[in-house]
Amino acid sequence: MEFTLLAAALTGAAGAWLGLRIPAIRARTEWIDKPWDALIGAAAIGVFVGRVAEMIGAGVNPVTNPFDVILIRGGVDTAAASLAAITTLAWVYRSEFMALDALAPPALIGLAGWHAGCLWTDSCLGTATGGDWGFTRAGSDVARHPTELYAAVGFLLLAFVVSRITTPLRATGIAIAGAGAVRAVTQPMRPSLTGGPLWAYLTAMVLGIGIAAFGGRIQERRARVRPALD
Amino acid sequence: MTFSRSVFALLVVALVATGCSTTDNEPSAGALPTTDAAAFETLISESQSPMVVNLWASWCVPCRSEAPLLTEAHRQLGDEVRFIGVATEDAQVDAEAFVAEFSMTFENYFDRNGEVKAWVGSVGLPTTFFVAPGGEVVSTVYGVIDERRLALEIDELVRR
Repeated sequence: MEFTLLAAALTGAAGAWLGLRIPAIRARTEWIDKPWDALIGAAAIGVFVGRVAEMIGAGVNPVTNPFDVILIRGGVDTAAASLAAITTLAWVYRSEFMALDALAPPALIGLAGWHAGCLWTDSCLGTATGGDWGFTRAGSDVARHPTELYAAVGFLLLAFVVSRITTPLRATGIAIAGAGAVRAVTQPMRPSLTGGPLWAYLTAMVLGIGIAAFGGRIQERRARVRPALD
Repeated sequence: MTFSRSVFALLVVALVATGCSTTDNEPSAGALPTTDAAAFETLISESQSPMVVNLWASWCVPCRSEAPLLTEAHRQLGDEVRFIGVATEDAQVDAEAFVAEFSMTFENYFDRNGEVKAWVGSVGLPTTFFVAPGGEVVSTVYGVIDERRLALEIDELVRR
């Protein structure tokens, strides 16, 4: 991993760490066992799975070319990475889904940090814009959207909204749906040859809304069943 | 523990399945044309189209990683941008096998003595540089290039 990409990853990790230090969020996460380990572990597994998925999608065999896995710069499948990270967190806290609600804001702040990490990798700029707010690259006169900074701001706003939700699993659902929405809204402003995995963002939005709408019932059912088992 | 074994078994099956995917490792029917610094400079200076030039080698792991992306980019943008691959510091037969393996449809050359790489001033592989019509090198990306950066550099190139 090159140094600048490592710096971007550390920026994302620092965002998640700071999220866990914000008093309002900390008050909700104090009862969770090793939240920092869970977030970092989920992110690491997500990147690994996303990279392998990207390799398979590109026709590069991960068995015969195992060292390609470390070439994160070569591309990470966003959909597979997100799915793996969320699944990991859900598995770790399978006995207490409320932990997912508490961890959603720091996870979103970590995502904001990851996007802001574009400042290290010189990758903030997106498609051209005629607006005055556009940024130009050195040696160019084409004004461009600071797309990844838009996304970073979007994730921070989403983290604030999610941190104020108290209904069981609704914060998790809104976080997933909102993350999909932030990526979907910024995707058209992101330089791309393929248009990006819009289908994955839309799927996340539908899934997140479903969790937000029906997650509370799952939690209620668990609460009813648990005393009976005890 | 049962779950862990199931996951492990599933992982093994998945890896074996992907390992069974067929790739054509036979060299392409046509040999790669050779080039040197002078011939390459003439090639790009006479081009009327913006160009994406990629220096690669078959032994270079990052080159393998970005080869499918370049092939896809050429498939999409081949009419408006000229894609040129230059195999360097490599054995010609291995380079030809690489072209066939990734079904590279854009023009590729074999830099027998590493002159093109020296001409560009590159010290490692892969290196991708973006050239305006007439031969002016607009920008250079050292190391593996991702889709976002490739799309951005091409956009800058065609807007000049």
